[in-house]
Amino acid sequence: MPELTLAEKLEILADGAKYDVSCASSGSSRRNRDGIGNAAQCGICHSWTADGRCVSLLKILLTNACIYDCAYCVNRRSNDTRRVILTPPEVAELTIGFYRRNAIEGLFLSTGVVKTPDHTMELLIEATRLLREEHRFNGYIHVKVVPGADLLLVERLGRLADRVSINMELPTREGLQLLAPDKSREAIVAPMRRVGELIVQTKEERKVSRKIPPFAPAGQSTQLIVGAAGESDLQIVTLAAGLYGRLAMKRVYYSAFIPVNRDERLPAVVGTPPLVREHRLYQADWLMRYYGFAAGELLNEERPNLDLSLDPKAGWALRNLHLFPVEVNRADYETLLRVPGIGVRSAQRIVRARRGGHLSLDDLPKLGVVMKRARYFVTARGRFAADLAPDAAGLRARLLEKTPARPRWNQPSLFEGGAAGIDLRSAITGEL
Amino acid sequence: MIYRYDGTFAGFLSAAARAREPGARPEAITDREPEQQGLFTAVVEVPTDRDRAEELYALIRRTLSPGALQTLRHAFHAGDPGREILIFRYLMLGLATGRDFDAMLAHPEVIPVWKLARAVGREAHRYKGLVRFRHLEGDVWYAALEPDHRILPLIAPHFAARFADQRWIIHDPRRGEAVVFDPARREWAETPLEATGPLPLSAGEELFRNLWQRYFERLAIAERRNPKLQRQNLPLKHRRHLPEFGET
Ligand code: SF4
Repeated sequence: MPELTLAEKLEILADGAKYDVSCASSGSSRRNRDGIGNAAQCGICHSWTADGRCVSLLKILLTNACIYDCAYCVNRRSNDTRRVILTPPEVAELTIGFYRRNAIEGLFLSTGVVKTPDHTMELLIEATRLLREEHRFNGYIHVKVVPGADLLLVERLGRLADRVSINMELPTREGLQLLAPDKSREAIVAPMRRVGELIVQTKEERKVSRKIPPFAPAGQSTQLIVGAAGESDLQIVTLAAGLYGRLAMKRVYYSAFIPVNRDERLPAVVGTPPLVREHRLYQADWLMRYYGFAAGELLNEERPNLDLSLDPKAGWALRNLHLFPVEVNRADYETLLRVPGIGVRSAQRIVRARRGGHLSLDDLPKLGVVMKRARYFVTARGRFAADLAPDAAGLRARLLEKTPARPRWNQPSLFEGGAAGIDLRSAITGEL
Repeated sequence: MIYRYDGTFAGFLSAAARAREPGARPEAITDREPEQQGLFTAVVEVPTDRDRAEELYALIRRTLSPGALQTLRHAFHAGDPGREILIFRYLMLGLATGRDFDAMLAHPEVIPVWKLARAVGREAHRYKGLVRFRHLEGDVWYAALEPDHRILPLIAPHFAARFADQRWIIHDPRRGEAVVFDPARREWAETPLEATGPLPLSAGEELFRNLWQRYFERLAIAERRNPKLQRQNLPLKHRRHLPEFGET
């Protein structure tokens, strides 16, 4: 076979990486010390692809060759595709070339498994080391950890990268066994646990001495495929809650299953992938992380799946009508957050604005409250804006989204970082 | 009364100082040629008075919160004609109310200025991603953009921190303005700059342009195609200077 040009290799390796949706480049602030680049607190998009997604990082595979054979993966061993590999210096040069042109925020490097997990990890570490040490690159780097790799290699990688991630992919043990038979749950969870420990431990140590090198300062993340193995939303959301709580996980990404292989173990998907379900899961995730909801408030054994036609916050409110309406001049911040139509930003603005005097119903839209939804759940100076008193059935009909909002996925990345002072949150998935 | 100033922030403060003198009745503050002004509206030319501007600025800093001051400064960079009188009224309200000013979020003189500032802040943030450098002969990195607002000085610090070892120029050809960064002194400066002729691209530039275009083509997932969302996130007007959309 003829040698491929760099451009051809790049095309193949971009193709293999694009199904991974976690592109958040935020949550890390790395200063430029005498070199090039820094990592911004607030995510920056450099372009948008034809599917509407933000382009932030150079997202490529080191190689699309793989010794494993996961049913859902384009790069699996049994697929008859052209295999290519980039050398670590090539990865570094591509990254620097794009970065200097301000086309990217940094690198997201993933890979198939070549030879052994450890060998593959060494290549990832070398590419990252070249960037940091030879090119003195201080921009954002997110690298995948290879399941089953030696934990010492995991530690070396985390010292160089801003974020590391190990994709769980399948929410249940059975799903994993069926669809990714080469990877054990333990091979995935062991490095996750180690990363979690090192993140917590390094943070503590760095409080004492800044000389200790940071470990994955932007945290670890993981991705779950939605709709490939018959799992319920309750299983997914409960798993996510556990990952956030116990493994110091920064983000869980949900990816609607897209069939790229023919395989009898996989569900037959006709038409478009379950994007609305994915969107609802992001909303539920958002409610757990920023709105103080517990997994059990959103789903339970009787109702194990999210309502596709209603956002999960409205759903919760309808099940808890006895808590409404709330008086915006008195309700505390946490209570305001739970009102449909009031987001983090409008709740903050209400709390601030009411110090200057009692708020009336007319003030609310000016503070960013979406009255179309909130009107049924609030009073201002005792006045109620809606024409009907909240009754579950009628209310549900009014809150239904006839055409469920087109998912605006991936945008949550913009939110992390908080203090950047620029108001982007309204354009974000999951803000309710 | 219409107050004319030279377009600088100090000039605006000089005009504002005049406009708040007792008895003054400002209808507009502008740096433009008065077009069809009302026949009976007097135009006062206000030369920039550094001392008066600084005096007023000191008062503003003593009275307004940092957040309110930032709102004011961002709003001043808006491209909208007519912004100055809104900012002036905002400023007067702030100076009159002092500590209570920050809670007056829904006040009719606060909202328009807050909206301007938000539009400017959003655009500035957006352009942190959309500025695209090309490598020129002589090791200069050049980017052109055509923003709605005068955001160059607002984004320059971001690029100065990030590309501290590159000699770069960010150019707003429509306004004939640029910011230029000198890596030796680690300083940026604003300068007038007109567009002239084709750019002398460096030897490696075509290669990277091509690599980027081909990479970008591959990124979209066919099953999730959604040009409407793409247009919503990245309006056509922003694509003019992005290589992935094949433009110059
Ligand atoms: S290990 Fe990764 S690259 Fe290899 S087949 Fe499985 S999912 Fe694909």
